[in-house]
Amino acid sequence: MLITRRLAVNLIAAIALCAPALAQQNYPDRPITLIVPFAAGGPTDVVARIVGEHMSRTLGQQILIENVGGAGGSTGMTRAAQAAPDGYTIAVGNMGTQSAAPALYPNLKYDPAKSFDQIGVVNNTPMVIIAKKDNPAKDLKEFISYLKTNEAKISFGHAGVGSISHVVGTVFHAQVGLKPALVAYRGTGPALNDLVAGKIDFMIDQALNNIPQIQAGTIKSFAVTSPERVQSIKDVPTTKEAGMPEFTANAWNAMVAPKGLPPAIRDRLVEALGKALDDTTTKKRYDELGSTAPIGAERGPVALQKLVETEMARLTPILKAAGAVAQ
Amino acid sequence: MFDLLDKLALGFQTCLEVVWMIDPWFGLAIPVPLNLLLCFIGCLIGTLIGVLPGVGPIATIAILLPITYSLPPVGSLIMLAGIYYGAQYGGSTTAILVNIPGEATSVVTTLDGHQMARQGRAGAALAIAAIGSFIAGTIATLVIAAIGQPMTRVAQLFGPADYFALMVLGLMFAVILAQGSVPKAIAMIVLGILLSTVGSDLETGEERLTFGFSEISDGIDFAVIAMGLFGFAEILKNLESPEQRDVVKSQIGSLMPTRDDMRQSLAPIFRGTLVGSVLGILPGNGAVLGPFASYTLEKKLAADPSRFGKGAIEGVAGPESANNAGAQTAFIPLLTLGIPPNAVMALMLGAMTLKGIIPGPEVITKQPQLFWGMITSMWIGNAMLLIINLPLIGLWVRLLQVPYRLLFPAIVLFCCIGIYSINNNPLDVYLTALFAVFGYALMKFGFEPAPLLLGFVLGRLMEEKLRQALSISRGNFATFIQEPLSASLLAATVLLVLVAALPSIQRGREKVFVE
Amino acid sequence: MAIEGQDAAATGKPDNSRFNVEVAGGLFLIGLAIVGFIDTYSLKFGQMSGVGPGLMPRVTALIVGAFGMLLVAQGVRTPGQRLQGWSLRGLTFVVGAVILFGASIRPFGLAIAGPIAILLAALADPNTRLKEAVPFAIVLTIACIVLFKVVLRLPIPLAPFALGY
Repeated sequence: MLITRRLAVNLIAAIALCAPALAQQNYPDRPITLIVPFAAGGPTDVVARIVGEHMSRTLGQQILIENVGGAGGSTGMTRAAQAAPDGYTIAVGNMGTQSAAPALYPNLKYDPAKSFDQIGVVNNTPMVIIAKKDNPAKDLKEFISYLKTNEAKISFGHAGVGSISHVVGTVFHAQVGLKPALVAYRGTGPALNDLVAGKIDFMIDQALNNIPQIQAGTIKSFAVTSPERVQSIKDVPTTKEAGMPEFTANAWNAMVAPKGLPPAIRDRLVEALGKALDDTTTKKRYDELGSTAPIGAERGPVALQKLVETEMARLTPILKAAGAVAQ
Repeated sequence: MFDLLDKLALGFQTCLEVVWMIDPWFGLAIPVPLNLLLCFIGCLIGTLIGVLPGVGPIATIAILLPITYSLPPVGSLIMLAGIYYGAQYGGSTTAILVNIPGEATSVVTTLDGHQMARQGRAGAALAIAAIGSFIAGTIATLVIAAIGQPMTRVAQLFGPADYFALMVLGLMFAVILAQGSVPKAIAMIVLGILLSTVGSDLETGEERLTFGFSEISDGIDFAVIAMGLFGFAEILKNLESPEQRDVVKSQIGSLMPTRDDMRQSLAPIFRGTLVGSVLGILPGNGAVLGPFASYTLEKKLAADPSRFGKGAIEGVAGPESANNAGAQTAFIPLLTLGIPPNAVMALMLGAMTLKGIIPGPEVITKQPQLFWGMITSMWIGNAMLLIINLPLIGLWVRLLQVPYRLLFPAIVLFCCIGIYSINNNPLDVYLTALFAVFGYALMKFGFEPAPLLLGFVLGRLMEEKLRQALSISRGNFATFIQEPLSASLLAATVLLVLVAALPSIQRGREKVFVE
Repeated sequence: MAIEGQDAAATGKPDNSRFNVEVAGGLFLIGLAIVGFIDTYSLKFGQMSGVGPGLMPRVTALIVGAFGMLLVAQGVRTPGQRLQGWSLRGLTFVVGAVILFGASIRPFGLAIAGPIAILLAALADPNTRLKEAVPFAIVLTIACIVLFKVVLRLPIPLAPFALGY
């Protein structure tokens, strides 16, 4: 009697010990929540949905997108950082949340380099330097000298403090040595509207928001900030070609999980993300968005960790110097 | 003209397109009018979420996006559009029956619509809202089809300065909207503006009035305030006076509007459609102004303005038409320019990009099938909504006969779920509880919540536009007078103040003479 | 849970009080204005080009406060309807239900948070009978699960302790 009881206790203890291991083997056995720290329909949300849909087929489980907006994405990323590291909560952040945020929000409750187990870069989206269509400049050099001579009446539109358009704009202004009037909008939509209408002078924004306008000639574009030209707007030179090689910027999105993810689960997620990026439909969608998938060594946790660290090191001094700090 | 007919024909062809599908049981090929079916499903879901308090089109469209992965692009966009304008239809139902505005655009409907319900005329109110919306939807569809492209110029005309002036004019509407004392109404509007400043500042990122909660750094959600001030506060009021709450269920009048009702409503419907169509095109959610503007207009034109707020049918017909017309014309900037004027349209843009369509100025010429298909689907959808909604009126009205002791806990739960689903954040639920207490206090002190909500909605836009205009002009306030559009809007505001003040000045003089 | 001042409300007769609705409402506005003003005091009022983040909140807080004072002045001058008492029963249970829903939805899910919210809210009404309310709470929760989880697919936790989501 005693023995059987002890046996039973041991059995239960053994099962309890094995449970996490079993859970890892069967991962995933229930739907995975993918936190997107921005509103649905935005650039990060769209790519998260594109890869999420493919990953759910590889993993054999639904991936439920949960949009948790607020504070330039830091609300959602805070929740992701604090979630259980069981692989059932993952997140897709962007350059803003994963490298600019610590400089912008002193009270940030996570550290992009330390609070997450990185899974990998999801995509790179080039930015475009765009101006209202009646700007007289013909190329980037002329445009920059135009900006400098007319500094007193130049206005720059951005989508709010902490948004990518604001962060990259701050870098641009620091490198050119320009102090335009900063006009804040709630999102890139209204800002683009005023640019098309000619109420503001210029913006720097993700290509995917502007490609149709550039194609239709309702706005002027001077350069893309990526090392390569963008397929759908082939006539627009890169910053390097246009004579400003020091200014490059990519609006990247990256998939992360809370720190402490079991390696086996991480490998499965990395593999699933890789498969999604290799998919032809994904490639087609990315092309339409003017966006590129990371290739080779740009993929995976190590590359992402390095990207987060270098971007943080690059952006923090510029943003702090510009005084763009939220309380 | 024939050109337009040709294009509309293309649109109808797209909508009625038949797809052969293999049924899973017998392997038979069945013809399915897929786009028509998707339009119907969209309208049905839209009506449902419109009726449910708190659950808005943004959350629903976001959640239904995965379903559209396997659908053809035109069909899925037709469905998502149906959800959006269907929600506008459904929203008026909740506003009329239980006095909860699901969205900013149905705040005005609560004023006279719910009063009509209390007088046993819920059926007439619901029917006129549906008929008005249908007429408005039909006209707005024609407007988009005929002059959609040139109309985008209107959106481009409005710079930040002009927009600011428009918001100032809009705030004047709120004073006229109010039923009680004018100082109290103004105090509520200003308090609404104060609430709208909660959150991190757009320009500097500094936190304002957030008291350390990063979750509200993007501002308080409209639904949180609306559910608290209207939904929960209304429940508390009804619980307090049991004899009053039974009025609604004691008598049910005719389900359909009388001839008199129709006669009274026809002109307001057309005026509302016009006002709503124009305001719907404006960037930054100008559509919310439509119902308020229409209500103001009707109250000013009415022979007896004192009827308003006590169940005037014009107060339902006009704003509801304006609301639906605006919901439709809001698609113009998206479809013709690729620039979304509000959050729902931004989401639609996301849905389009997911389907591999990048909307922009060239979408009409490059994808005429998509453009005209969507436009005609809106008209078909409006007809479907009328067919869905009219028979439902009987059901809705009967819902009021559910004993209140069961009805109100159900409303509480629906509101809680709806609010939680906005951001999937419990803090929003707590905030709503706070606003319930706040709304109850306001009621006790004799304040009305409607002007506060208008102040809240317009306040944020007003501050944004004020600061954008001043940033562009480098701090020069003269910009508001130098811009012709802004100057004339401000002049109109002054005129409106004078017109509103005149009767009281005259009355004052009469008083003097009597004394 | 007595409802004070209900008689006045029911009959609608203004009882002549100096501490009336107007005065109380005015004081309420003044209180809100003070909170709004103090919290945004550290923010910049204006900048070189244009206005700062502090302008709008402080100007509106001042106007709210001014109207508060106007109401107090009006109320004191002309005695009017006395302030009605607050019905604590309704407030406690309805607001309590909402707060409890917020607190329980993430840890326990809709399956638990739903019935709790309904039952607690139902207690706000003295006419509520448990025999009726309990089955109603269960049926309504099931209906909500079907509606919100199955039809609309909202990402609301259902029963995390049993299902994991």
